[in-house]
Amino acid sequence: MMRKNKGPSLKRNRRGGTLVGVAAIITAALGLGACGTGTDSSGAEGGDVVLELWDTDTRPERTENLKKLISMFEEKNPSIKVNYLGLPTDSYMQKISTAIATKATPDIITPKASDISALVAQKALAPLDEKFEGGGWDAKVSPAMTKSSKAASPDGKLYLTPATSLADVIYYRSDFFKNAGLSAPTSWDDFYAVADKLTDKSTGKFGYTLRGGNGFFSQFVQMVYPQAGVDTFFREDGTSTLNDPAVVAAAEDYVDLYGKDTAESDLTADFKTMVAQFGSGGAAMLSHSIGSYPTHVAALGADKVAAVAPFPSKSGKSVLSGRMTTGFAMFETSKHKEAAWKFLEYTMSVEGNSFWAQKSGYLPGNLEVAKESWVTENPAMQTSIKALENKDAVVLEQPFYLPEFNSITTTEMLPEWQRVLQKQLSVKDFLTQSAEKLTKAQQKYMKK
Amino acid sequence: MSVITPERPAQSKQRKPKAKLRRFYPYFLIGPAAVLTLVFLVYPVGSVFYYSLQHSNVTQPWNDGFAGLDNFIAMGSDPLFWRSLTFTLQWVAVEVGLQFIFGLALALLINKTFIGRAVARSLVFSPWAVSGILTTTIWILIYNPSTGIGRYLADIGIGEYGFSLLSGSGTTFWAVVLAEMWKGIPFFAILILADLQSVSLELYESADVDGASTLRKFLSITWPHIRQAVIIATLLRAVWEFNNVDLLYTLTGGGPAGATTTLPLYVAQTAIHDRDFGYGSALTVVAFMILTFFSLVYLRITKSKEDDK
Repeated sequence: MMRKNKGPSLKRNRRGGTLVGVAAIITAALGLGACGTGTDSSGAEGGDVVLELWDTDTRPERTENLKKLISMFEEKNPSIKVNYLGLPTDSYMQKISTAIATKATPDIITPKASDISALVAQKALAPLDEKFEGGGWDAKVSPAMTKSSKAASPDGKLYLTPATSLADVIYYRSDFFKNAGLSAPTSWDDFYAVADKLTDKSTGKFGYTLRGGNGFFSQFVQMVYPQAGVDTFFREDGTSTLNDPAVVAAAEDYVDLYGKDTAESDLTADFKTMVAQFGSGGAAMLSHSIGSYPTHVAALGADKVAAVAPFPSKSGKSVLSGRMTTGFAMFETSKHKEAAWKFLEYTMSVEGNSFWAQKSGYLPGNLEVAKESWVTENPAMQTSIKALENKDAVVLEQPFYLPEFNSITTTEMLPEWQRVLQKQLSVKDFLTQSAEKLTKAQQKYMKK
Repeated sequence: MSVITPERPAQSKQRKPKAKLRRFYPYFLIGPAAVLTLVFLVYPVGSVFYYSLQHSNVTQPWNDGFAGLDNFIAMGSDPLFWRSLTFTLQWVAVEVGLQFIFGLALALLINKTFIGRAVARSLVFSPWAVSGILTTTIWILIYNPSTGIGRYLADIGIGEYGFSLLSGSGTTFWAVVLAEMWKGIPFFAILILADLQSVSLELYESADVDGASTLRKFLSITWPHIRQAVIIATLLRAVWEFNNVDLLYTLTGGGPAGATTTLPLYVAQTAIHDRDFGYGSALTVVAFMILTFFSLVYLRITKSKEDDK
């Protein structure tokens, strides 16, 4: 009896246990299955194509403009829908690297020129040369921007549409200058003199805000290379010009600004900190690209912000920095390349390009758009365009094609740069050791 | 007999598969947990060990391949590695030491009976409940040269405008230590207070009768009671502080001049920013080994002291 009684009870327990076990496995399997869910851009209702677009810059005003651009495109192309996804500006490459590794990439991306090398090395982007030339875009879009876009890739192909471009300028608070009875600087000597005159440490007002933190290298190049009159990053033998005597001298002048005509907290200042300081009246001048013009105008009003292009060197040579193409790229794994190309074309067309460049504050790539009144009447853009009109001006291209460029100029150079500002390392030693690293990378690239 | 005998083998044949099933039944039950452990623990850790022996840089895939011990050898001549390791050890020692001292003091204080004790306890514990990113934001605002404490001090003539504690060469370390302490002290206080509340009041009363001093009561009654909690809390906190990335990354980004870069932060810069997963994995393996060694030695020492008693 006892055995009989135990039997069914044991069976019942076992069944119950089995059920629990199976349920646990199913739950685990579902959980794991959920982990593997990726981006699906293939499906669409009614046969329409759905494109996935990832943006790497999520400033609110840009997001709004990009969404508007997408809706304008969708109106023109009712059979194509574009899904927008904004990635965190300071960590977007993590998401992209994961997507590449898991083959869950979107159709369209907005990479920076400095990202192209890494993405091409992973064979992640689709070359656009054939489609670009086939569509006659080489005649409709600025050849300088096309050239700059190709120069950013390690194999010289076009991956980033030359939709728009940036250019470096020095912004200044025109109201501060007016109150102090000063006019806009026209030379490097002028610049340093007004930075000094506008500094009043007792009231917390400084002549300039220096980028000592993340992204320092672009500001460093903008302020040092034009001043030195050096128009190339590498000599013919692949040696870096970072330790060129003229570059070292210019860098020393630039570094001397720190603490004297800048806030000490600039040691760790990044873009946001600089903009906040400029906007709050803590700094009278700021170096950045024309892309931030709408941000300054929104914060201060157009009557309080003006811009000048970096000045010619003492020898009279005009070196233009920051002429960086900004556009859209297509992933190699996109299942809708034709539809994605349609979107890319739209961003270069008169309608799309005009809207996007104007709202973003970028130089338009479309040659027709470049003649529109909003371009000719924009002070920051006119400053950049006029600088380029100078026949002797040379555009300085940064070596974004080098795979090591990003790690050298950030992880390796940033701590040393801050040591320079803290007077723990001399400018010459800093530039010499950095030049060695860049030379090594360039010469390795040349041998390939 | 003649009926039973032939049935026996048949019964045993029937039972065999059931017995076999029964033998595997426990394995079947722990299967899901084992699978999850393998997928979420063993595989990631194993893959880090694997990549530490590889050249794996997504920006230079043509160099990818077996590296042997190259990544580990490269650490020897990497000043950033040594700088970050030195800072990490300094950071852990200072943070855990100060958090323990202040956490203990706070726990002893709020263990006393006084009016408003419940409110005081809630206030003491509240920083621990605040998320890491929120903690950072609070301290960024406090240290901001335009809107924070520096500006108000400059307004009354102490210090200069435009100075930030986070960018001064002698102040950065203590500025970040203070921010982290704000969050870490309540952790110690909570754990120690929980143990303090289990100490019988009779023991203190007996000690009072014997005329024991406050220090004697602490050493002979309080400390033995809270010792185990302190061991666990310091070990956990040391591991967490060693692995600290969120506060330092968002507060200083590891700067200025790499002065606040911990080893895990350097790993993040190498693997995530530079996309050098081979070297980043090797750095992670070293961090893993340091932590494992530390945990074993720490537990061994504390256990042997316990045994001696």
